[in-house]
Amino acid sequence: MVDDAPQMDDSAAMLETQAKRKVRGLTRPEWVEYAIALVAGISLALLLRTLLDWDDLMGSAIIASIAFIGTHYLIIRERTSPDVALDKVVTTVMWTIAGVIVAMLLWMLSYVTVRGMKLLNWTFLTTDLSTTGSLEEGGGALHAIIGTAEQVALATIVVVPVAVLTAVYLHELKGRLAGLIRFVVDSLSGVPSIVAGLLIFTVWPGYAGIKASAALAILTLPIVTRASEEILRTVPDSLREASLALGAPQWKVVLRVVLPTARTGLATATILGVARMAGETAPALYTAFGSASVNPNPLSGAQSSLPLFVWDLIRVPDQRQNDRAWAGALVLVIIVLVLFATARWLSARADKKLGRR
Amino acid sequence: MTTHLDHDPQHVDTHKMPVTPTHLDRDHKGASALVATDVSCWFGNRQVLERCSLNMEPGKVTALIGPSGCGKSTFLRTLNRMHEVVPGAKIAGTVELDGQDIYGEGLGVTEVRMAIGMVFQKPNPFPSMSIRDNVLAGLKLSGKTAGDKDELVEESLRGAGLWNEVKDRLHDGGMSLSGGQQQRLCIARSLAVKPRVLLMDEPCSALDPISTRVVEETVIELAEKITIVIVTHNMQQAQRVSSQCAFFLVEEQKQPGRIVEAGDTGVLFTNPRDQRTLDYVTGRFG
Repeated sequence: MVDDAPQMDDSAAMLETQAKRKVRGLTRPEWVEYAIALVAGISLALLLRTLLDWDDLMGSAIIASIAFIGTHYLIIRERTSPDVALDKVVTTVMWTIAGVIVAMLLWMLSYVTVRGMKLLNWTFLTTDLSTTGSLEEGGGALHAIIGTAEQVALATIVVVPVAVLTAVYLHELKGRLAGLIRFVVDSLSGVPSIVAGLLIFTVWPGYAGIKASAALAILTLPIVTRASEEILRTVPDSLREASLALGAPQWKVVLRVVLPTARTGLATATILGVARMAGETAPALYTAFGSASVNPNPLSGAQSSLPLFVWDLIRVPDQRQNDRAWAGALVLVIIVLVLFATARWLSARADKKLGRR
Repeated sequence: MTTHLDHDPQHVDTHKMPVTPTHLDRDHKGASALVATDVSCWFGNRQVLERCSLNMEPGKVTALIGPSGCGKSTFLRTLNRMHEVVPGAKIAGTVELDGQDIYGEGLGVTEVRMAIGMVFQKPNPFPSMSIRDNVLAGLKLSGKTAGDKDELVEESLRGAGLWNEVKDRLHDGGMSLSGGQQQRLCIARSLAVKPRVLLMDEPCSALDPISTRVVEETVIELAEKITIVIVTHNMQQAQRVSSQCAFFLVEEQKQPGRIVEAGDTGVLFTNPRDQRTLDYVTGRFG
């Protein structure tokens, strides 16, 4: 050990002294090209702005980007070749699009956060609006949070088993009706959410949380089914063969090997369905209807939900009510974000476990 | 499962009646003979095997050799009814396990597969299970019961030459092992249901030379107790592990594969009857 240690240090030191080649990032000429193109783009936009007397900032930005990309392409083509230039242009476009999307998302999140933080506090989470007048302070969204939780939970209890069983039928059994069922599921996923609500309103009249659950179930069943089917597809066939070769009947292959292997993936599919349900307004409009007080019984009587809460209060020409709506929206966004983060974390863990990464 | 039935002697008798054997003998000890007669196979309308007959003697290793796409894996899969798992797959001929047709009426597919185990080309341990649970998976999946599970786990892992490497980490995931260890885990998993025959489909093709050697040693040891049929691309491997050998060949493209020659491994590799066998084993093609 004592003899080994200095040797290890030596080799480490030797590795340290060797200069690493730069294989990523931009070289100096590339930086210069970017700078020139950028200057050219901005100059053109400014020139047009002055000459044509524009004051639209968005328009100028678009012109500047197009001019930037064009100039950049021409410069690189001069120095290297059209292929390399095109590659650079596409790279730039991709990064720009990605940047715009991320920026929009961040902007939306921060806007909701800023507007929502105004009223979001412990009181908001623990009181309802039954005794609070529209101009009074206090009051909150407890009734809506309870409503959303109950409606989504009830719908999930129905949707998940049905969706998973359907997916098993479609992908594991590959039954004779698989084609037809897949077609029906696909068609169902195209049903507008307001239509799902109308359907329940018509066939099951009266207001109750469970009726909103029924409408939500119709909406999310196809989503969770197809997601589950995709998850089952990721279970390698070699595992099914191994189970069959051990003398397993098919139902045990599904129950003991396929579903446990797909467990985390199925959980992810479920969470995505739940997140979708939590954010739906239209199916609850004439089914749960909405209410200002806590109604813990989802089986009868009007019940609120977070999207309904937001929708009701944002329509009112009243600052305080609008602020409450934003706070409700923030709660909803936080719930959905937490759900999505959980889904991502679960699937990352599943990938690691299956040795895919 | 009423006690009423269990005490009924007539009921017990019908189970053991040898006249119409609709069940395989579950208490069978030792190796079994596997005899394939005129086996032909199709995928849809495409015939991939033509009248292959082979006698796989008990307690011996039979190697199936031949160039890629000659049907040796397909033939192997007919031996425990895994061929029919593929949609559109058809089969003709008979495969007899100790004289009993495994495609015969009344014999369950699952029963056949329990008696004739299979190890695949790529190691495929169940990722959702620990090492121990992987070994016991066959019991759970087939509904068999074991007396002492710990004993069975140790016995199976020892049989597969893996016990010493994993005995302290039986509750780790099956995917935490190296490729060679995973393959031996799959062998242990097959052994745990006490098969009479073990089929191996190129079990070493995804393994490094050292793991290959360990698996080969395992195969040779196992052959004392059970019949082994092994598909291999590696002719040295066929010579090292097998005592019998069958050479498969597709003579012209789109023709089905046939068994050109079968017999003692030593003879097949040194003094084959057929010129094509000689060409293949001496490396002139394939």
